[in-house]
Amino acid sequence: MNDEPLLKVEGLSVAYASPGGDVAALQDVSFQVAKGEALALVGESGSGKSTIALAVLGLLGAEATIRSGQILYAGKDLTNMPAGELGRIRGNRVSMVFQDPFGTLNPGMTVGRQAAEPLIRHQGLARDAAMERVVAAFAEVGLPRPAELVTSYPHQLSGGMQQRILIAAALICEPDLIILDEPTTALDVTIEAQILDLLMELRQRRNLAMLFITHNLGVVNRICDRVCVLYAGHVVEEGPKNLTLRRPRHPYTQGLLGAIPKIGPERHGRLSPIPGHLPAPGNVPKGCIFNPRCAYALDRCQTEPQSLRSMDGGSVRCWRAEDLPKFRHQAGVIGEPSRSPGTGVPLLDVKEMRKTYPLGRRIKLGGPRLVSIERRDVNAVNGVTLRVRAGEVLGLVGESGSGKSTLGRCIVRLVDTTDGQIHFDGKDVTHARGDALHKFRGDVQIIFQNPASSLNPRRRVGATIGRSLDLLGKISKQDRQARIEELLQSVGLPPYFAERFPHQLSGGERQRVSIARALASNPKFIVCDEPVSALDVSVQATVLNLLSDLRDKLQLAYLFISHDLSAVAHIADRIAVMYGGVIFEQGPTAAVLSRPNHPYTEALLSAVPTVDLTLPEPERIALRDQSLGMKVATTGCRFHTRCPRKIGAICETEAPPLLEPSEGHWIRCHLPLDVLAYPATVTTDGDRKIA
Amino acid sequence: MVDVISDTRVKRSRRGPLNLWLGLAITGSIVALALLAPVIAPYPFDEMSILTRLKPPSLAHWFGTDDFGRDVFSRTLMGAQYSLLMGFGATLISFAIGVPLGLLSGYSSRTVDEAIMRLMDILMSFPPILLGLLILTVTPPSLSKAMIAVGIVYVPAIVRLARSVTLEIAQEEFIQAAKARDDSTAYILFREILPNAWPPLIVEAGLRVTFAILLGAAFSFLGMGAQPPSSDWGLMISDARPYLETAPWIVLAPGIAMSLTVIGINLFGDGLRQALDPRLNSSKSG
Repeated sequence: MNDEPLLKVEGLSVAYASPGGDVAALQDVSFQVAKGEALALVGESGSGKSTIALAVLGLLGAEATIRSGQILYAGKDLTNMPAGELGRIRGNRVSMVFQDPFGTLNPGMTVGRQAAEPLIRHQGLARDAAMERVVAAFAEVGLPRPAELVTSYPHQLSGGMQQRILIAAALICEPDLIILDEPTTALDVTIEAQILDLLMELRQRRNLAMLFITHNLGVVNRICDRVCVLYAGHVVEEGPKNLTLRRPRHPYTQGLLGAIPKIGPERHGRLSPIPGHLPAPGNVPKGCIFNPRCAYALDRCQTEPQSLRSMDGGSVRCWRAEDLPKFRHQAGVIGEPSRSPGTGVPLLDVKEMRKTYPLGRRIKLGGPRLVSIERRDVNAVNGVTLRVRAGEVLGLVGESGSGKSTLGRCIVRLVDTTDGQIHFDGKDVTHARGDALHKFRGDVQIIFQNPASSLNPRRRVGATIGRSLDLLGKISKQDRQARIEELLQSVGLPPYFAERFPHQLSGGERQRVSIARALASNPKFIVCDEPVSALDVSVQATVLNLLSDLRDKLQLAYLFISHDLSAVAHIADRIAVMYGGVIFEQGPTAAVLSRPNHPYTEALLSAVPTVDLTLPEPERIALRDQSLGMKVATTGCRFHTRCPRKIGAICETEAPPLLEPSEGHWIRCHLPLDVLAYPATVTTDGDRKIA
Repeated sequence: MVDVISDTRVKRSRRGPLNLWLGLAITGSIVALALLAPVIAPYPFDEMSILTRLKPPSLAHWFGTDDFGRDVFSRTLMGAQYSLLMGFGATLISFAIGVPLGLLSGYSSRTVDEAIMRLMDILMSFPPILLGLLILTVTPPSLSKAMIAVGIVYVPAIVRLARSVTLEIAQEEFIQAAKARDDSTAYILFREILPNAWPPLIVEAGLRVTFAILLGAAFSFLGMGAQPPSSDWGLMISDARPYLETAPWIVLAPGIAMSLTVIGINLFGDGLRQALDPRLNSSKSG
């Protein structure tokens, strides 16, 4: 490595203009990236990490101003460089991959042209010559049939393929530095694992420097050399990965690590969240910026602002950093694993549920009737059978498009099922109407994913919760008010929150209000549809804790739907794994997390990025990515098109049998149990093999 | 943990855009003049005088006199009442019918949606004047009937707008939550969706008022609206047609007044759209 860092940011301060005066987004941020090094910028939303990326590329909007500091790229300051010169560096020497591939690619232009653009712009290549380079680059990032792919449009490709194309486009001018802003956040976990592997490989091959922006410490652990932790626009800790993730020196880093649910044998424990939330911009606390949320804050912390000081191999913004390891036991997992999983009769009993959505109709010529109208359907849920007992948590895991949300909505009767039965509390409620449905609605509630959209923005919190109470029958004004306050209290919010509007609340607080609303009718069963996916890690932990507490206190049963296997493993008594509308494996959490597994579960487990450095990195099992226009299989085993352990024709024609390795644990697969008990030996890199 | 409340939403600038204020000033003064017309008009609007027929503007008659010797200034002032009544009344009618239909159409099953929208298609396929005339010719004309006709002409536009806004809001999770707690469709439409649909609807209302004034004037011009001797602007223009060359002031006064009203309300509506539409605000949160 060279002495001169490739990118050096020094004392960077950026402010955004707002009607109430300028608001500081970054305060005195410094870091550097050496040639071939990968630095992770970690922080929760609002920490200023994306602002850094935009500042480096000179893409800050008109309302942002760089107040002070330098951004040195190969010794040249980018902050005062003329636009023309900056344009020659941007996209050429320094390139960027954004978070959302669906929003980054122009839907009206072939992907080949989009990827060729930097070559034509920066290297003056002719269209044909540029296309040749694009085909080569597509091949390098593992895209199948690159020569044909260049003429396709973004909507014809899967999310993983789109992200590969963006990476290829970013690399096409052979930059020295690539800035990746949450490049895998919008992707499914198995696809994320493949993209991370690809980035690792490219880095080594090209000696590429990376500035990797993420909120996911598991991803950092997998791909980066150094970590720079940001909090409210300040760098709070910087250092080598192994040191920072193993022995964090700032309480915030320690808190972040403690808040992550881990896949492991001990379940039902409480996570240790970071209390409070990020200070509002322009309202930074006195003294140490982190002191209102810090578990170890002393009086001194409230008055003395902290400055970044170097400490073995990195730097930290805390005067008590040396003492931090001693406090470790204070954090950790607080509280004892609670309660035994629910027992007794099933509360919810779903039998052979099917849900088909019409895709449209097509006039078909020929056949016995000469002209007929053919209906095309998509099976979102395809024969699901499951049971949830009172007080039990069933986790439902699957990637996007697996039908898990549809299943949840069918169960709460927001969507009508096409076929099958739902029994609740011994009664058939599949087609309940009128009073029976009203009672069912009181007993079964749902919590949604998106805190921004789950509350009516024009309505006070109290009115939102109160409406659920009004529907239960007549209630006096005092009782209503008292009950609203009681419900707010039960989700950890003070009574005066009833007067607030949703936009005055943070994401975590809104999610608590959603939970309070769901609790208003004293339900017995709640469908939690990705309740923590849109939240930051520290907030996610508080909401997960709250859900476990409520379950214990009120004997609630949940169907906990999530794409995040670690969150599910943390809270669920049993786990069901869903793919293509079918549950492929179901059983007690410990059984599902250990062998034998269905090949899909196996792939999911191997793909989850973990921060646990003590465990060896599992051998990654790559699922075959969708090639052009490939869909979920409709015959045989629905997983066969992506299965890395496919046997042969039987998988394509026959539905797999039910295997039961232990009581209450079953797997749907053609492979015999003794084969499933051993890991897949061949990790197929399907992308390149699919023809 | 809840003592600090973060309101990261960047508050919108209190100072609205220029056209909002200009439009408000013009519209405001016209409304004020219309309300005060009986008091400030120098002559009764229907007082005829053979001696002062077709006099050009003078100190005694600021806008001149018409063929019956009536004071054009007084008539124009009084006419503002008719025009504004037409504009706001017709808009109110089109909203009263259009908004509930639009909400229902955007929220309901495909069958209901299709039925409502095809009905609107039929309404829309008539040229507005023809549709209005159809309604008006059945019964003797009057201002209130012209108002209803104009209102009905604009129903499809309101239905389509309300529907498109509803389609978007109906996807929100709080609507699903309302369904999950067993709220009625009417409650969901009017209490959950409608309050969130107001901003685009209010902006549309501003534009509709000006369209209604113009269409109302067109009906009066055709003799289907206000009847003589009312001082409706459209009627005034129609009556003054024969004197267009010899006494242009009789046409000009109501014509200019109408243009000013339309410009004022349009500016106001435009300004309102800018102030209410977050996409047009350059401020964004970091």
